Amino acid sequence: MRFFLRIIKLSLLQQTTYRAALAAGLATNFVFGLLRAAVVAALYNSQETVNGLPLQAALTYIAIGQAMIAFLFLFGGYDLMMTVYSGSIAADLVRPVSIFTLWMGRDIGKALVNLVVRGLVLLLVFSLFYPLILPDSPAAWLWTVVSLLLAWLISYAWRFLINVTSFWTPDARGLGRAAFTASQVFSGFLIPLRLYPDWVGQLSQHTPFPAMFNTSLEVYLGLLQGPALWRALINQAAWALGLSLLCFLLLRLGLRRLVIQGG
Amino acid sequence: MARSLRLYFRLLSIQLRSQMTFRISFWIDMLTTGLLNVSYFASTYLVLERFGNIAGWTIAELAFIYGMAEISFGLMDMIFSGFDPDWFSNFVRQGALDQLLLRPVNLFAQLFGSRFLLRRLGRILQGALVLAYAFANLPVAWTAPKLAYLPLVIISQIVAMGALFMMGSTLIIWTIQPIEAVNIITYGGVEMMSYPASIYSTWLRGLFTYLVPLVFLNYYPALFFLDRPDPLGFPVFAPFLAPAAAGVMLWLALRFWHFGLTHYQSTGT
Repeated sequence: MRFFLRIIKLSLLQQTTYRAALAAGLATNFVFGLLRAAVVAALYNSQETVNGLPLQAALTYIAIGQAMIAFLFLFGGYDLMMTVYSGSIAADLVRPVSIFTLWMGRDIGKALVNLVVRGLVLLLVFSLFYPLILPDSPAAWLWTVVSLLLAWLISYAWRFLINVTSFWTPDARGLGRAAFTASQVFSGFLIPLRLYPDWVGQLSQHTPFPAMFNTSLEVYLGLLQGPALWRALINQAAWALGLSLLCFLLLRLGLRRLVIQGG
Repeated sequence: MARSLRLYFRLLSIQLRSQMTFRISFWIDMLTTGLLNVSYFASTYLVLERFGNIAGWTIAELAFIYGMAEISFGLMDMIFSGFDPDWFSNFVRQGALDQLLLRPVNLFAQLFGSRFLLRRLGRILQGALVLAYAFANLPVAWTAPKLAYLPLVIISQIVAMGALFMMGSTLIIWTIQPIEAVNIITYGGVEMMSYPASIYSTWLRGLFTYLVPLVFLNYYPALFFLDRPDPLGFPVFAPFLAPAAAGVMLWLALRFWHFGLTHYQSTGT
């Protein structure tokens, strides 16, 4: 555990070193947020609510999506894959923790910085342009936090799974591009899932993608109440657990055949 | 001039040959990129199934404006690969620009010839697919003036966005690091151009009308091609400003580039 905390701390320090890059990323996320919000507002035209999603909630959804890109790594990532192809994974494999835990520590450090610096600041700036919705009770805040943590775990496990395929193929990047495009669309990041035709939403429920993003947003916006809320959280927990187990299994199989070349 | 062009095509053929070494893997990669990118438009298409239209634009009309912007951006990104600010930043940092400056040949021929990313065909393919959908479904009469103006608009868009790349790269002469604000204008610009300009707030539209006049490159020409009225009340010749706007942007970019080069100091690496 102490080792795990050390990894997180190191990653925090590393991430806060590049302040200009953080600010620049923030500005880009913000402008794209404005462009995307304009599209959603134009779609609503004069309708107030579409499929249970009021316009203001939809705009909040877009703003939070832009704020969470860096925290939830919504565009995916290839860090582990790169260490496999460069061979530097050898140094990580001799450490006293599994590389699943190691990279989780590194990602948590990054995510924490991104949550505060890019996430919260962006939402503050955004709220100057569009009135954002806030959860109305302490319980709603609590469930939002729980749901976001689960979403983070699912997103981490999904990235890990894709990266681990690099143990088998020299071109896991192509697979990654397809996998991360799918997660951007079906997680509801691009457009809230409720705005698609109903069959798209139903289809996506059979994948882990809505649990990576859309579910947490619906919890935040108070669209899920009572039994629906419980079902959503249990669904997220199940995906988090299932995908993590799959990660361990694949890692185990992969390590048996991994050959590190050069050095 | 002829010598520079010959050199450019020579460099280009070297680039193409080296990028086509693994032919099959290249085509597979390109096809997957194209199809994956189409999924972004497909998601908009599905949403429009629920809403019917966006700001009065049907899905076919949206496909037209979207496909035009994507095709042009893809072509620009391929032709102007050497001026991509992110790449140019590395180029300057490693001192590679010094080498080019020392050679007794035209710098543009060398820079354009130093990088020509054929894999951008993926994005171009995506734009072409979306545009083909638009052409198949638009109830528009394609008169001769329209057909003549269409390629001119695409060229103008390539030139205008290439000028933005060039300005972004010029900034790097001073900063070495790429300036992310430039991405807001280039990548944000193509995002803006992919939707009807009337949906944006006044100041956002102002930015892309008066400061970076990208609305004249896709939105206004599209009004002419699609026989749509202008809700923003610009003069009737606004759809035909695309070549002029692109010309001005290129002229400014070239002036800035030459100004920048006279201030170039090597990084010493």
